[in-house]
Formats: sequence, structure tokens, C-alpha cells
Amino acid sequence: MEQIAVTGGKGGTGKSTFAVLLALKLSKKQRIVLCDADVGCPNDHLILGKDLKNEKTIEAEFPEIDAEKCTKCGKCVGECRANALFMVPGKPPRLLKDLCNNCALCWKICPEKAIKPVMEECGKSYETLINENLWLVTGEATGRPEQAAEVVKTTKERAMEKAEKGDALLIIDTAAGTHCDVIHALEGTKKAYIVTEPTPLGEWDSELMVGVLEKLKIRPLFVINRAGVSDDKGIRKLAERSKAKIEHEIPYSEEIAKAYSEGKLYNLNIL
Amino acid sequence: MKIAIASGKGGVGKSMLSSALAMLMSEEKKILALDCDVDAPDMGIWLGHKGYDKKEPISTSVKARIDSKKCINCGKCSEVCEFGAIKSDGSRPKAEDYLCEGCGACEYFCPENAITLEEVQNGEIRFKETRHGFSLVTGLLLPGSTCSGKIVAEIKKRVKNEKYDVMVIDCPAGTGCPVIAAINDCDYIVMVCEPTPSAFSDLKRIQKSVSHFGIGHGIVINKCGLNPRMEKEIEKWAGNRLLGRLSFDKKVFKAVSELTPILESKSEVANEIKELFPKIKSKVLKK
Repeated sequence: MEQIAVTGGKGGTGKSTFAVLLALKLSKKQRIVLCDADVGCPNDHLILGKDLKNEKTIEAEFPEIDAEKCTKCGKCVGECRANALFMVPGKPPRLLKDLCNNCALCWKICPEKAIKPVMEECGKSYETLINENLWLVTGEATGRPEQAAEVVKTTKERAMEKAEKGDALLIIDTAAGTHCDVIHALEGTKKAYIVTEPTPLGEWDSELMVGVLEKLKIRPLFVINRAGVSDDKGIRKLAERSKAKIEHEIPYSEEIAKAYSEGKLYNLNIL
Repeated sequence: MKIAIASGKGGVGKSMLSSALAMLMSEEKKILALDCDVDAPDMGIWLGHKGYDKKEPISTSVKARIDSKKCINCGKCSEVCEFGAIKSDGSRPKAEDYLCEGCGACEYFCPENAITLEEVQNGEIRFKETRHGFSLVTGLLLPGSTCSGKIVAEIKKRVKNEKYDVMVIDCPAGTGCPVIAAINDCDYIVMVCEPTPSAFSDLKRIQKSVSHFGIGHGIVINKCGLNPRMEKEIEKWAGNRLLGRLSFDKKVFKAVSELTPILESKSEVANEIKELFPKIKSKVLKK
């Protein structure tokens, strides 16, 4: 199964717009699964004007300590590098869920087997039919931010399964930035579009993204959005330096901005 | 006093507004500008600067290191890793830094004591004396590194002893760890939105996080003129939290491309920010 990511570093450069337009265009000829992996702010369905369907809960495992079995030996507290467990005098250790990264070490090492994993919702995934050749798989984080990467992973698994079964191309739309959620969305892809704009902001942020892709051994491709809004020499130089092709240029247009703001972008033939 | 500028959606005008607010406030107060968008720090560009005076490394992350001389390739480490970070090429396991959470499970279970956790540099803190008479401190997550939320917490720790009346914090996009770390100890949050379905949806998401911390907040609608119907909808939702409106203006792109701070540009947005500033000032300074 082939997969391509759409990313960019800077927010608001048109990642989701491009991902949606690319998916719509390619779906005229082949089956496509579009995965919205911006789980903090998933918006592809809004651009497509659809309600999300086929909801599934995503859960993460948290430790629960059995007060009767616990001998207060403190081993779990000592080994927890996230500092999510701390000792309370005379009582079993307490868990600070906001710090827990679900590494499972505590329940694997408790000598009394007093800790067991319990499931708790951290997100949701959805599967929405857009047209006969296009499915949208969306992830949405509903729990603590630490578990957002888990939501990305699980959503991507659902999308990959869908793509594999349907012999479809998988297009992954990532969040802004370069943090864990983005890295998990990018992992495993061979090429990624960096959607950027011809401003110093777009230039600087896509340079950071080129660095991420290099580390992950992903081939970068450039999409210049709002082309013509100002000088694009910097972006072109960056593309040259990173041996990346500029695959698309979307001109700056108030018509596009207005269509986007009205949720009617899918009507335009841009790519 | 700490004031943060957040939005959920990216590209709606956070850095533009936070740089302008820092400049306006610096006329009366001692300001410290803190760029917490460690994934894509752009406040400096909006203040008219490229480059910094000083950079220092930040290490808030540890990673598994496998000693290939001691490793017997038993596979235990990859079995206990919940993050799929230890991959084997058939002969020797290798920990992928970008997936490793530094939890230490592999180190604990390795029967040969072949694994140690090593502190790695994952970020940078950068300092700039701006030409506007205040300092800018920026955090940067090194590309491919992890723990962005901890970098935000760390830069906040490092500026603890700086003297300032108001700290103006530019937040990252999204609602994830670095955003929470940026807003969690703030006194007031300015939320920026644009009249698009995506930005309005994201505004409600960030508002939920902000309310969770019980922080007072107001709303600025940027790029007005794009969709009057949506603007009304956002205004109605914001109610008395509405701080003001800024126009959709192509000149904004020209300004940033020329490294001209928005307040020094010819865009009408400059005047509009000056007009809404007293409202924000009254919220911030009454505390």
C-alpha cells in the first residue's frame, strides 16, 4: 500500500486544503483513503462539508493500584521516569495521570502484582464516506495531550487497514509543527508534501520540517501556496538545497480564501 | 503578569498579534516576549528580526542507547517497548530516537545490562535584545526531537529570574502538550480566530482547554471581510468576550516578507490593533 503525507511545519499554510484537494482529484481515477491525523484540530471534514461517521473510541492504558495488595515498597515510584507516580506517607503511591505516558513499566515490575492496567478513553476515530472512491478517516483527541500521539497511531492504523483492504492510496494530513503527533503521522511514509507560503515564516518553518523529514528518511516535495503573495526566492533556494521538487503552486487568490471560509472549497478546481 | 496568545488553528495571526501587543505594551511596561511555539517559532520574524544574540542548548529528553558489545540480541527490549521504538535489522536492535519516550522499560528488562538512558539535546533557547527595547526569548524543538511540552516548561523555568511587568507569550498551533505548557500558568489569554469553519471549530477546542484552567480570556476575529455570516456567528458565540476585529488584508503578507512589524506597516490592521489594544490593556493591567 502506497502512502503520502501532507505536512508543513507552519500552521495555516494550507495543509488540509491541499490534502483534501489532492484526495478529491486523485479519487477520480483511483481509490483513496484520506487520514486526518491533526487530532488536536481535525478539520478535513469541515473542508469537505461532511459530518463524521462510524465513531470508534480510542483508549489508553493507565495503571490502577490495588491498595490491599500494595506493600508500599516504592519500586514503581522509583522506576517511573515520567514522575507520574509519587509516594504518599502511609498510603499506596498516587498517580498523576497528566504525566503518565502509558509506558506500562509499573505494572510489569510490581513485585506484588498490585498494579493493573485499566483502559480510559483518550480519543475517537471516524470513518466517513466522501465519494465512491474516497474515504476519510479522522482522529480526534478527547483526553490528555500526552495521549494524542496514541490517537494518531490508532487512527493511522485504522486508515491503513482501510486502504489495504480497498487497495487504496493513503494520504495522511498531519498537524502543524514538528512535535510527536506530527512525527507519528509521518512515520512509515516514503514521501511528504511540505505545504508552505512564500514568506519568511513559511521559509523558516519548512526548513525545520526538511530537517524532520531527513531524520525520518522521507523524501520532501514542495507545494507553494499563496504563490505570488511575495517573493518566493527563499523557498525556491530551500527546495533546491533539500533536493526537493516544487510539485504544485497554488496562486494567492481571494476567491480561494472566500471559498475556504464558506466551507465550499471542494467546488473549486485548483490543482 | 503573563498573557498568552492562542488559537488552536495555525496561521490565523497569533504571532502577528502577540508581537504587536508586546510592542504596544512596552510603551508603558517592562515586557518580556516569550515565543513558546517551539515547533515553528515565528515571533522574532514578526518583530522584524532574523537571527539571535545568544543560543543555549536544552536537554529535556533521555533516549535508550544499546551497547552492541553487550547485547545478545534476545529481543526482550523490543518486546517491552510500548512505543515500537526498538527495531531490529535482524542482527542487532536499534532504538529510534524519534519514537523513544525515554521510559526506561528496555533498560530495566535487559538481562545483559546493555541498555542505558542517555540525556540528549532536544532543544535550544535563544535570546534577542529587540530594537523595540525589550527582550525576546524563544524556544526551539530541534527537528526530529521529542518532548516539545517539556521544552516550553524549561524555557519558562529559565526566564524565572528575569525582571518584567508583563510576559507576552506566543503559543503554538493546536491543543497539544506544548500549548498546554504555554498557557497553564497564564493570567489572561487572547484567542485569535478567523471566519472559517476550521478556525471556529478549533477556537472552541482551545477555549475548552483554557476554561479547564479557569483562565480569563477574550477573542479577536482576524481576516474579517472573508465571510460576514461566519463573523457574526463567532461574534455571537464570543458575546462580551469579543475584544475586536481585524481586517483581511493582503498587505500583511507584504509586511512580514519585508520583516516589517505589523504596527510599522501600511496595513489597516495596524490601526485596528491599536484600537483594540486599550480593551486588552484594561484586562491585563487591572490584575
